[in-house]
Amino acid sequence: MTTGVPEVLPQQAAPDIEARSPVELFWRRLRRDRLALASLGFIVLLVAAAALAPAIVDVAGARPPNETGKRFLDPGFGTPTGPSATNRFGVDTLGRDVFSRVLYGARASLLVALVATALAVAIGLLVGMLAGYFGGWVDTVLSRLVDVLLAFPILLLALGVAAACSLGEGCLNGLVQPGLGVVIFVIAFVNWTVIARIVRGQVLSLREREFVEASRSLGASHARILTREILPNLAAPLIVYTTLLIPQNILFEAALSFLGVGVQPPDASWGKMIADASEVFDSAWWFMLFPGVALLLTVLAFNILGDGMRDALGARSART
Amino acid sequence: MRGLWLVVLLAVALAIAGCGGSGAKKGGTLTVIATDDIQYMDPGAQYYQFDYMVLAQPGQRALYGWKAGGTKPVPDLATSMPQVSDGGRTIKITLRKGVKFSPPVNRAVTSADVKYAIERLFLPQVGNGYALTYMAGLVGNKEYTEGKAKDIKGIETPDPQTLILKLTEPSYPVASANALALPGSAPVPQEYAARYDKGDTSSYAQHVVFTGPYMVRNDKSGKLVGWQPGKQIELVRNPNWDSKTDYRAANIDRILVKLKVNATVASRQILNGKGMVNGDFAAPPTPILKQALDSRKGQLDILPGQSNRYISLNTTIKPLDDVNVRRAIAAVTDRDELRLTRGGPTLGAVANHFIPPGIPGFDEAGGNAGPGFDFTKNPNGDVELAKSYMRKAGFASGMYSGPPLLMVGDNEEPSNRTAEAFQAQLQKIGIGVKLRQVPHATVLSEFCQTPKAKVALCPNLGWAKDFYDAEAFVDLLFAGSAIQPDGGNYNHAEFNDPKINKEIEAARKVTDPAARAKAYGQIDRDVTNLAPVVTWLWDNQVNIRSKDVKGVVNAFNSTYDLSFTSIK
Repeated sequence: MTTGVPEVLPQQAAPDIEARSPVELFWRRLRRDRLALASLGFIVLLVAAAALAPAIVDVAGARPPNETGKRFLDPGFGTPTGPSATNRFGVDTLGRDVFSRVLYGARASLLVALVATALAVAIGLLVGMLAGYFGGWVDTVLSRLVDVLLAFPILLLALGVAAACSLGEGCLNGLVQPGLGVVIFVIAFVNWTVIARIVRGQVLSLREREFVEASRSLGASHARILTREILPNLAAPLIVYTTLLIPQNILFEAALSFLGVGVQPPDASWGKMIADASEVFDSAWWFMLFPGVALLLTVLAFNILGDGMRDALGARSART
Repeated sequence: MRGLWLVVLLAVALAIAGCGGSGAKKGGTLTVIATDDIQYMDPGAQYYQFDYMVLAQPGQRALYGWKAGGTKPVPDLATSMPQVSDGGRTIKITLRKGVKFSPPVNRAVTSADVKYAIERLFLPQVGNGYALTYMAGLVGNKEYTEGKAKDIKGIETPDPQTLILKLTEPSYPVASANALALPGSAPVPQEYAARYDKGDTSSYAQHVVFTGPYMVRNDKSGKLVGWQPGKQIELVRNPNWDSKTDYRAANIDRILVKLKVNATVASRQILNGKGMVNGDFAAPPTPILKQALDSRKGQLDILPGQSNRYISLNTTIKPLDDVNVRRAIAAVTDRDELRLTRGGPTLGAVANHFIPPGIPGFDEAGGNAGPGFDFTKNPNGDVELAKSYMRKAGFASGMYSGPPLLMVGDNEEPSNRTAEAFQAQLQKIGIGVKLRQVPHATVLSEFCQTPKAKVALCPNLGWAKDFYDAEAFVDLLFAGSAIQPDGGNYNHAEFNDPKINKEIEAARKVTDPAARAKAYGQIDRDVTNLAPVVTWLWDNQVNIRSKDVKGVVNAFNSTYDLSFTSIK
């Protein structure tokens, strides 16, 4: 249709384009995910509870976690008694307060999960970057080493190493002490290979990218390229895999303690509590229920948060 | 009160045992369920309760045996008790006629078969654990072991029914027939077994022949096809057994032994099922025990185990080298709490000295009341008294102030709980403990029986009788000469006290039963006073059976006697 009047499209107000940093973007996306936020809240609470466990036990008037009490056991058979005013979650087979032991057990679980995961990521990152960046014989040696370790049945390997280090004065000249140290060592030892493989793959493609080429042609050193150009680009996949590893490692710690090579007595660990509870399960449900629920919620929270973070990073659809 | 309770138990046990023989129904299959494997099929190596229960007692006829309710050995393959002469150095035994080996050997047993059976106990390939303790006095055994003689000169067989043992010095265990009631004197046919006894390890175990009412099912060559190690053993009637020659009733037709079943599963199956009894486990897991005592009391047979449980305190490691620290530990130990970790009073009486009830020397050491030391008096532990002993040891505050001690215990229920409870008790006098938990076999082989492992505390030890004599409870455990620095050491506390050593040396030579009991009772008192160990339990064995099983218990073995038990 012509009217003779030149058609003028109404000028739309140009939207304000805000500059947002990746971190800001990430946070905005994550905030929309209610479930992930709730999980984050739970984890923050859990970490606080674990860190403040002695104070909480004190304020709540609960008994110290390692205090046995035969007055809380059936005098005829030594079976534990259930939840009461003194022992909110009941007692275990030695008359210890399950409430304070679950609380202190969180320390073991979180400590192992965070430290072991951090160690595994650090080792995996270093090996993966070296193998991927330098290629050649470095890659061949490191990759075959990873392949060999990946071929081991992990739980059996862990059990073997843990058992060897649990005797006497530990292993590696006493560097790895029985108890939490062994668990952390074992978990880091079996997990770094996965990270190394993923990082190597990423680095292989990153090192051929233009910005790396540019940096190289400007005469940057290997160290500079690795730390300034490649490392930042590994952040997204690393975060994704770390969030996957943490809950997996909490369960791994529980499994090792369940099998008797983890946390040493009298210290509490959820896995060990569940193992001890299994024998008296039909007469003392509380002994298994509370550490079991704590373990379930914690693993669930880390998994949901990890999922949320992955989405927020856009890692699923990203070019990496 | 506790004493009365034990006596009642014993009386009940004897009453049950006494009414077993007559009027029992014949036939049927009895299933024995066990949580672990047998130790040895070869009667020359058998040394443990479960092997006695399912193999030695129903399958083999040693020179002497144990009637269901008896606490003294009775003639089995022998016709009468040993005739002792020459000041205790010559022992004459007459053998019963009409006892025959099971197929494929099929011939009558002679004294030469007993001679060969005893000789092979000294062969390293057989792996016997007690010949050097109880038979070392046999004339000529050294020459035989060193290969300088073809046989042991001190075992004479003037005719097929007569056996004469010559000893270098009198031996109470042999003269009283106790040592001759161990399965090692069960006859072994040389012409059949010698070829299996060659080599580094005897393979007679796969080809054992039997003289008792039952035999493991075998084929024509004698190979035990009814034995699947780690899974199952099938015993059938021995066609060559003649009831006229034996005190055993042998009511059941077939015995099936199921091995390596989980204790909870096994206990439930036995209590709810048909035709089953428990094998090697001393008691069902606590929750099941509790239910069974409530609703199935008639299916439980609780027997004194004639064994103890104790914690060793290594007397060579500081601060345990100080007798007052050891007494403080004995005082602070809440033995009642330790017993609760195993299931409470049903599992036995709280101990206050080493020799358990039923063993000669028990009464002489103070009986149930105990030897009367203040540090063994309170079964619930006495923290204030413990602190006063710590002060005597030079810890002014009554609390220990040194580095933590190494304790190595079992990693299995319920023993791991016992160790953890003890760990918490020691904390009351400031003794910190590094607790390592490993499998029981490792606890013994790598740590507690190996002095160079330098383990301060071993919380999961126990000792059971060989027979009704206290020698075995004292010599290996408390004589300084028994310490084995390189391993296989049963003197876990590495206890070496000159006065006690002398007492032990003297007691061994006493042959009069009353004087012997008194001597060993006194040693028990003196050892308890020096506290190299804290004895905390005199075990009971809780046996369980299905409703349709008429269980007869063997007081010697603290288990069911399969030769008298029947199906209703």
